[in-house]
Amino acid sequence: MTTTSAETAIRPARAKTAAPAVTLRRKQGFQHGGWFVAPFLALFALFVIWPLLRGLYLSFTDANISGDGTAFIGLDNYREALDDPLMWDALGHSAYFTLLVVPCITVLAFLLAMLAHHIERGKWLWRLCFFMPFLLPSTVAGNLWQWLFNPGNGMINHVFGIETPWLTDKSYAMLAVVITTLWWTVGFSFLLYLAALQGIPAHLYEAAKLDGANAWHRMVHITLPMLRNITGLVVALQILASLQVFDQAVVMLDFGPGPENSTRTFVQYTLEQGFTSYRVGYASAMSIIFFVLIAAVALARMWLLRNREEGGR
Amino acid sequence: MGRPGLNRRQLLATAGGLAVAGSFGFAALGTGADALASDASTRVRYWNLFSGGDGYNMIAMLDAFRKDNPDIAVKDSTLQWGSPFYTKLAMAAAGNRAPDLGVMHLGRVTGFSPGRLLDPWDVGLLAKYGVREQDFNPELWKRATIGGKLYALPLDIHVQLCYYRKDVLEKAGLLGLDGRMVSPASVDEWFAMLKEAKKATKKGLQTIGLWHNDQNFQWWFFVAFYSQLGGTWFNDANTEVTFDTDKATQVLEFLRRHLTDGYANPGFGGGAGAEQFVNGAPFAWEGNWSVPVFDAAKVDYGAVPLPPVFGRQATHAESHSFVLPHQADRGGAANEGAHRLAAYVVKHALQWAAGGHIPAYTPTLSTAAYQKLEPQNEYVSAMNHQGTEPKVWFAGSTGILAQRVGPIVVSSTTGSARPDAVARRMRSTLAELLASKNPMDGRTAAQGGAVA
Amino acid sequence: MTTAAPQIRVKPRRPWTTGQIVLTLLGVAVSAVILSPLAWALFTSLKSETEAVEVPTHWLPKQWTGQAWSAIFETGNITDWFVNSLVVSVCVTAVVLLVSALAGYGFARTEFRGKGVLMGVVMTGLMVSPAVLGVPLFTTVQQMGMVDTYWGMILPQCAPAAMVYILYKFFQGVPRELEEAAFIDGAGRWRVFFTIVLPLSRPSLAAVGIFTFISSWNNFLWPYMVTNNPDLMTMPNGIATVMNSYGIQWAQLMAGGLMAGLPLIIVFVFFQRQIVAGVAHTGLAGQ
Repeated sequence: MTTTSAETAIRPARAKTAAPAVTLRRKQGFQHGGWFVAPFLALFALFVIWPLLRGLYLSFTDANISGDGTAFIGLDNYREALDDPLMWDALGHSAYFTLLVVPCITVLAFLLAMLAHHIERGKWLWRLCFFMPFLLPSTVAGNLWQWLFNPGNGMINHVFGIETPWLTDKSYAMLAVVITTLWWTVGFSFLLYLAALQGIPAHLYEAAKLDGANAWHRMVHITLPMLRNITGLVVALQILASLQVFDQAVVMLDFGPGPENSTRTFVQYTLEQGFTSYRVGYASAMSIIFFVLIAAVALARMWLLRNREEGGR
Repeated sequence: MGRPGLNRRQLLATAGGLAVAGSFGFAALGTGADALASDASTRVRYWNLFSGGDGYNMIAMLDAFRKDNPDIAVKDSTLQWGSPFYTKLAMAAAGNRAPDLGVMHLGRVTGFSPGRLLDPWDVGLLAKYGVREQDFNPELWKRATIGGKLYALPLDIHVQLCYYRKDVLEKAGLLGLDGRMVSPASVDEWFAMLKEAKKATKKGLQTIGLWHNDQNFQWWFFVAFYSQLGGTWFNDANTEVTFDTDKATQVLEFLRRHLTDGYANPGFGGGAGAEQFVNGAPFAWEGNWSVPVFDAAKVDYGAVPLPPVFGRQATHAESHSFVLPHQADRGGAANEGAHRLAAYVVKHALQWAAGGHIPAYTPTLSTAAYQKLEPQNEYVSAMNHQGTEPKVWFAGSTGILAQRVGPIVVSSTTGSARPDAVARRMRSTLAELLASKNPMDGRTAAQGGAVA
Repeated sequence: MTTAAPQIRVKPRRPWTTGQIVLTLLGVAVSAVILSPLAWALFTSLKSETEAVEVPTHWLPKQWTGQAWSAIFETGNITDWFVNSLVVSVCVTAVVLLVSALAGYGFARTEFRGKGVLMGVVMTGLMVSPAVLGVPLFTTVQQMGMVDTYWGMILPQCAPAAMVYILYKFFQGVPRELEEAAFIDGAGRWRVFFTIVLPLSRPSLAAVGIFTFISSWNNFLWPYMVTNNPDLMTMPNGIATVMNSYGIQWAQLMAGGLMAGLPLIIVFVFFQRQIVAGVAHTGLAGQ
C-alpha cells in the first residue's frame, strides 16, 4: 500500500498539466475535511475524552455517587489503592483468568481452524457450529454454564459422573468461568485463524510437496510461520479482552465475588467501589490505574511489532 | 452475492430504512415500550427485591391493591436481590430517575444516606391511609427514624430458621411429645441429634444444609450464634472494637464441625441444601422465606429459630421496609400513590406472613388467622431474641460489613483457614471498617456516620 | 494483510479418503461437544420447572411442554426487552456507520489543520471501554441527565475508534482517480462521498455494520450500568438482572436466553458468508 506522503509528492507534478481552474477544484475537493470528522469527534470528545479527563479529576477527590460535597484529597486514593489488598486480589484474579484463557483459546482456535480448513465437505457447517456460541450474549452464556455447572442436577457433573463443586469452591470457581469463556469466545479467534489459513498461497504447499516434505514438515515450515502475524494478533486481542473480564464471571456467580472472593475481577471491584460503596473518587483512581495498565499492554504490543518489522528488514 | 435481483435488494434497503427510522423515532420518545401502553391517571413505579414465594405474595397483594384502587397504575419491577438491587437503586436515585417507591432492608437505611438518596415519609399522609406509629414495635420504629424523620416504613421482621423434616426426625426419635423437634441445650447435644438423624436419612442425602460457602448465610449464622454467646462488636461510642476472638473462634469451630463430622456435604452448598431437604435431608438452615417453597413442595416439616446451642436463644433478624428513593421533584399524585400503596401493603400483611415473615404491623399478629399459621406460630418467639448486626453505616443486609466479613467466615467453615486465625482477621477487618469514612458524608461511625 | 484472490474450486468432488473420513468424524464429534450446551438449554426450556431440577437429571423432557416459553411472554417484560435491544442496536449501528465512514474518509482523504494530532488522540480511544472507564463514564452521562434513557445507552456506544481506523485503512486503499474525475466534472465533495465513495465501500461498511450490530446486541456492561429501570433494559441486561430474580427458574431462564440468542443465530445461518467476512475483516484490521 502506498503511503499518503508519496502520493502527495507525485500529484503536484501531474497537476501542472491540467488547467488551473480544474486543479483548484480538484484540490478543493480534498481541502477542509474537518466537517467529515466533526460528528465523530463530537461523540468521541463527549464519551471518551471527557470521561477520561473527568476520571482523572475525580481520582484526586473523595467524590461520592450523589455528586455533592466533593473535596480535593490529592493522591490519597492512589495511595489507598496501592495499599488495598482487595484491589491486588482482584487484579490477581483478572491476571490469572487471562493467563489461563489466552494460551488455551489460541491453541483451541488454531486446532479448530485446522480442522475446518482441511475437511473438504460442508465447510459452512463447521464454520457455523464452531462459531455459533460467540453469537450469544455474555449473560446468556453465563447463565447457561451456571446451569451446566449446577451441583446436584447440573449436566457437567452428570455426564462425567463426578461431584465437583464447580461454582461453590474457590479452587474451581474461576476454572468454571474460564471453561465458559473458552466455549463462548473461541469462535472469534477461530474465524481469524481460518481466514489466515485460507490466505496462505496454495503454491507454497505444492512446491513443498514436490520437494518431498511430509504433512508435518509442511505444517512446521509453512503453516506455522505464515500464521505468526495472526497469532500475535489473536494473543494481543485476547489479552486485552481477558483483562477486562466481567460479564460471564458475575452472571455465573450471581453478581457476588465468588466463593471466598475467588472470582472478583478488577472491573467488578471497581464497579463495586463506585456503585455499591458509592466511592466514585476511589473507583475513578482504580479506573485510571487500569487504563494505564491496558495502555501499557497495547503499547508493548506496538513496540514489539515495530521491533520485529525492523528486525525483519 | 451478485445473484439476488435488484428488487430483493430494494426491498431489503426499504425494510432496513424503515427499521432505522422506526428505531430512532422510538428512541426519541425516550420511554420504554411499556409506558406507551399504560393509560391510568396516576402511575406508581415500585421496585422490589422479592423473589420466589415472596415475589408471588407481593404480586398477589399488589393485585388486591389494584382492584381496590383502579385509578392507580402500579408498575412493579423485581430486581435481583442483594447488592445488585442496592446498586441499581442508588444509581437511579443519583441519576434522578428513581422509582416512586422502593423496598430496602432496615439495616441498610443508615448507610443509604437518608436525605441524599432517600426522601422522608410524610407521616401525616401515612396516618391518612391508616398507618400510625403506635401500630409498630417501638424498637423497630426507632431504627427506621433518622434525625427525627421517618425514612423507612417497616413491613416485617425476618429471621434465620432451623427447618426439620418431621418424618425423618420421628424415625430418629428426635420429636417431642408435641410433635416438634426437641431443643438441644449444648453443642454436644446438637451433634448427638445430627448423629441420630443421619442414621435415619436416606442414602445419598446430606444431614444438614447450611449454605457453608455462601458469604451472606454464613455471616448471618455467625451473628446468630455469636449473639447467643453474648458477644459484642463495638463500644457504645463506636470508637473501639470489642469483638471477642475467643467467642468468635468457638462459633467458627462449631460451624466448621458440621463439615468435618460429615453432616454437611461440601458439594451441596448454596441452593442445593434446600433441594436436598425437599428430597429427604433431615435439616436445613434457611431464612424464613423458604416456608412457601417447602409448603409448595408438600414437605412434612417444622421450623424453629436456630438451636440455642450456646445456652440461650438468639437468631439473626433483619427487616424489610418501604422507602422513598430520592426524586428531585418528589410530590404530587405519584408520591401520594406511593404512600397509599405502602400503607395498604403494610396493613394487609397476612398474605405476607404466608411467606414466612413476621409482620411488623402489630395488629396483624393478634389476629386468629395469623396465630393459626403453621409453622409460623412455632417461631414467632424469635421476635423477642433477635441477633442483629451492629448499628453502623457499613452494616445491613449484603452491606459492606457482610461483604467484607462474610467471605472470611466462609474460609473457616469450608476449611481453607483455621478458626482462630479467622477470628483475628475478623477483628482486624472490623477495626478497619470502624476507622473508615462513610463516603456519603465523609464521617466515621464514631463521628456520627451512624445515627441509628 | 492482503487476502489472496478468491480460490475458485473447479475441481470435481474428490472421493472419500480415509483421511477425510477421520477428519469429518472428528469434526462431527467436536461440533457435538460445542453444540451440546445449546441443545441442553433447548431441552431444559421444554421441561416443566420441577422436571428441570429433578435428580438425577436427564437430557430429553419426559413430558414436553411449552410452559416456560408461554410463561416468559405472559409474566415477564421480555417483549419490551426485545424491542429495546432492537432499537438500541439498530440506532447504534446506523450512527456508527455514518460517523465512522465520514471520519474514516476525512482522515484518509482530506486535509485539515491538526489532523495528525487528532488521529493520535483517536488511537488512544482504542484503549478506552466501559470496562476500563465505567465509573467516570457513568458520572458523565449522569451529568447529562441521560441515565435510564435510550440515548444514554446508545450514544456512548457510538464512538468506536476501532471502526474509524478500519474504514480509514480501507479508504486509503481506494484509488483517488475516481474522485478526482468527479471533482473535475464539478461534483461537490459531499456528493462525491455519498454517490461514489460509499457505494464502492459496501463490503467494508457491511463488515463494520455487522460487527457493530453483534457487539451492540450482545453488549451487557454498559446497558447494565446506565439502565436501572426494567422497562428500558435490553435483552442481555434484563435476563441477567431481572429474570434471575424470580428465584432461579431454569426452564424460563433458558427459554429467555434462547430468545436473546436466536435472532443472531438465525441471521447467521442466512448471512453466514457476509458475517464471517465481516468478523474476520474487522478482526484482521487490527494488524
